[in-house]
Amino acid sequence: MAEESILTDEFLRQLIDVGEADVLVGVPTYNNAATVGQVVQTIRAGLLKYFPRERAVIVNADGGSRDQTPELVRGASINDLQHSTDLTALRTLHSISAEYPGGPATGTALRTILASAELLRASACAVVSPESTTIEPEWIERLLRPVYKGNFDFVTPLYRRHKFDGLLMRNLVYPMTRAFYGKQVREPYAAEFSFSGQLASHFLGQEIWTHEVGQAGTEIALTISAITGGFRLAQSFLGAKPHVDARAADLVAAMRQTVGALFWSLEPNFSIWSAKSDSQPIPTLGAAQEVTLEPLRINRKRLFSMFRSGVAELEPVLKSILSSSTLTELQRISALEEDDFLFGDELWARTIYEFAASYHKAVISRDHVVQALAPLYRGRAFTFLVENREASGEQVEQNVEDFCMTCERLKPSLLELWNGRK
Amino acid sequence: MPMSQDQLWYKDAIIYQVHVRTFFDTNADGIGDFRGLAQKLDYLQDLGVSAVWLMPFFPSPLRDDGYDIADYFSVHSSYGNLDDFKSFLQAAHERGIRVIVEMVLNHTSDQHPWFQESRKSQDNPKRDWYVWSDTDTKYHGVRIIFVDTELSNWAWDPVSKAYYWHRFFSHQPDLNYDNPAVREEMWRVMKFWVELGVDGFRLDAVPYLVEREGTSCENLPETHAVLKELRAKLDQHFPGKMLLAEANQWPADLRAYFGEGDEFHMAFHFPLMPRMFMGLKLEDRKPITEILKQTPQIPASCQWCLFLRNHDELTLEMVTDMERDYMYDQYAIDKHMRINVGIRRRLAPLLDNDRRRIELMNGLLMSLPGTPIIYYGDEIGMGDNIYLGDRNGVRTPMQWQGGWNAGFSGADPESLYSPLVLNPVYGYQAVNVESQKRFDHSLLSWMKRIIKVRKANPVLGRGSIEFLYPANHRILAYVRQLDKESVLVVNNLSSTAQAVELDLRRFKGNILIEMFGRNIFPRVGDLPYLLTMGPYQFYWFRLRKI
Repeated sequence: MAEESILTDEFLRQLIDVGEADVLVGVPTYNNAATVGQVVQTIRAGLLKYFPRERAVIVNADGGSRDQTPELVRGASINDLQHSTDLTALRTLHSISAEYPGGPATGTALRTILASAELLRASACAVVSPESTTIEPEWIERLLRPVYKGNFDFVTPLYRRHKFDGLLMRNLVYPMTRAFYGKQVREPYAAEFSFSGQLASHFLGQEIWTHEVGQAGTEIALTISAITGGFRLAQSFLGAKPHVDARAADLVAAMRQTVGALFWSLEPNFSIWSAKSDSQPIPTLGAAQEVTLEPLRINRKRLFSMFRSGVAELEPVLKSILSSSTLTELQRISALEEDDFLFGDELWARTIYEFAASYHKAVISRDHVVQALAPLYRGRAFTFLVENREASGEQVEQNVEDFCMTCERLKPSLLELWNGRK
Repeated sequence: MPMSQDQLWYKDAIIYQVHVRTFFDTNADGIGDFRGLAQKLDYLQDLGVSAVWLMPFFPSPLRDDGYDIADYFSVHSSYGNLDDFKSFLQAAHERGIRVIVEMVLNHTSDQHPWFQESRKSQDNPKRDWYVWSDTDTKYHGVRIIFVDTELSNWAWDPVSKAYYWHRFFSHQPDLNYDNPAVREEMWRVMKFWVELGVDGFRLDAVPYLVEREGTSCENLPETHAVLKELRAKLDQHFPGKMLLAEANQWPADLRAYFGEGDEFHMAFHFPLMPRMFMGLKLEDRKPITEILKQTPQIPASCQWCLFLRNHDELTLEMVTDMERDYMYDQYAIDKHMRINVGIRRRLAPLLDNDRRRIELMNGLLMSLPGTPIIYYGDEIGMGDNIYLGDRNGVRTPMQWQGGWNAGFSGADPESLYSPLVLNPVYGYQAVNVESQKRFDHSLLSWMKRIIKVRKANPVLGRGSIEFLYPANHRILAYVRQLDKESVLVVNNLSSTAQAVELDLRRFKGNILIEMFGRNIFPRVGDLPYLLTMGPYQFYWFRLRKI
């Protein structure tokens, strides 16, 4: 039986009306009415300001919102059907919306946007989060221009972030992606990014869409696909990223989407990552990563206690994943008092590699492997917060860099485990 | 062929714009003449045009291609004499072709005897026929039109030691329309030509007739009063004659030139023209529908005049800065192509000699509401010479055939009033009437066909317009309606094939009949009417309820 298309007939009709496009901005949504209006209006302003002559389109892939989100997106259109047309715009700007089947899933949303890009033969495409309320029109230029005019295929963002924002990114996703694939992509799992039409077609053809990673964590799979496919990468400074107050329950989901996708990618890309022994920077456009230092309340005690209880409660699971020396060391530090606690770079890197190898060997359910890493990550996050409590932005960045180097140095241990019998 | 007696004849007209000088030279002096124009009337009749608009042919020092008139009651000796003109006029009328004469009301040449008198002394009876001042600060802030050549609207006259006002070149002093004697004399000029038999006037540069301190000196009520006075006299003494306004203004300002049907019969729709080119390049109907939305209703007896190209630059005064930059980048990347605030190029080179685009643009010209004007040579796709000065690059000799001087003149090539276009793409050996007459698929033959279809369907000249807004913005679709006649026009502005769904429910039950091939298309039903269109394709459908 033929696979059901993710593009409904109605959406296909809208794409026909849009026709060929030069630039496309995708907005994946699900009940984002509170913020999406402002975001799409800013996208529209960015397109009018920086791409006034190009054929541009805003494509909303919606997971079934019931709060008028699609209507708000469609309101960004500029066409001659409206009573007062926008005289500042040279041409029609379509802002179209599609409800993709299967309920909300970021991967399906991205696939819808990629498919739109391919069908519209867009040269440059950007994806923007509907929650990025700090977006400015310049983001659109900084994302699209390097692809449209700069010959890059994939552009990831750099943000001005608080030093304690993006902890998972700093302590796991960035260092590990870098160590595995040899490219220093600072935000490999981003809410904003851009890509070429060529990369869109390449990625659409990947065998991921029937896997879990095709539903969630697809963004990091796209980053990895861009790296392993030999596409030209860059990162572009956008601006401030709003602080997201993540709840504890979100962590497991975030681990699945990032770590799960990252571990999953190791399987098909073994020949590529196993040959990389160091990493290379990618071109940075605009400012480098900026770190802000204003006070931010984070419940460190809770992180610490969840780490402790996790190590204790998950001992049988951890035994099947970790080497005895690593587990022993984790148990040792879990017994320390808060003030003495230190989850160091080497132990954390070794832990992640052992989890990756166990994921590969599927010693237990792969999903359980990823979930079991969550409490350990909390311990590492605790150390990061404590270590950097008084640190300047530069120091924080240096500490992240040191950890990355540790990961690269210890990478051979993963290869040993990968090829080992257990 | 008798001419229609309908007083609204201009609504159904196909106007052909030509300069006598450029068309055909019978005395081998290198300059076209009235006898030559008369000889070529059969060609114009065969093409299907119903009116000829003659650019200024009066005695003139020709420092502005005849727009600097030195005598309003005669013919420039290079073009023949008044008898030649009368013969031409009679021959045109015999072929059912009306003649529209260009009349420059706003200014004269500085060589005109009126100005020579006026400058002699402050108390000369003709002194007040022009606008004089002791200073050059009056009417401060009024825009300069020829920005490439003029620094001020005032010029110092060393003879009378005063400044005179000129909105165009400094050798073209503006007449003073506050002076009743001037108004009376200009009416006498028009009466002279109407009594000879001309059918209408294209009045040049009409917004600038009257000046008032603290204003832009454009479109003033006093100017409209002058024009209404002329129209009233024309209607009273010569009913059925037509006045066409040249007023390069925004639609809202243009509207006033129609008055309540008591000023001009027709006016050029200047803002539409660049937007047609813009829409084509953008592959987007928005610029066209947008400007037509802004176009006010005009009295029932009035009509817009539409054109693609003319003797002037493709003017970009009536566009925004962003639109102007876009047009320059898309259509005039070579600086030689630019002059003043516009682009000095002919139709075919503007459209990269792409036959499909040339046809589409002519299709729009013939189907949008208004009377179309064809600029001489554009019906065969003539090229231009951007290296000639001023706007002379689009005023080169008509290309009749591939032989000596393109069949334009028997003179030595060096003595022609203008060099011929010689390049391999647009040169007269490649593009000429004779070769195009031999083939049914030539541009000339195609132009004949579309003119024929247009003339056979008065709805295209007189009908109302209603835009359809299909979601595919590359498709410009509209319905023209007059009484029980309805024509559906669908244009693909894109370089690629397009699918479009049209909401034609209110025409449910009608059959679509394609007007060129007369083929029947499916009946309109409840569902959106699906059409697929090739690159730059357009359809004209008659809607028939049978």
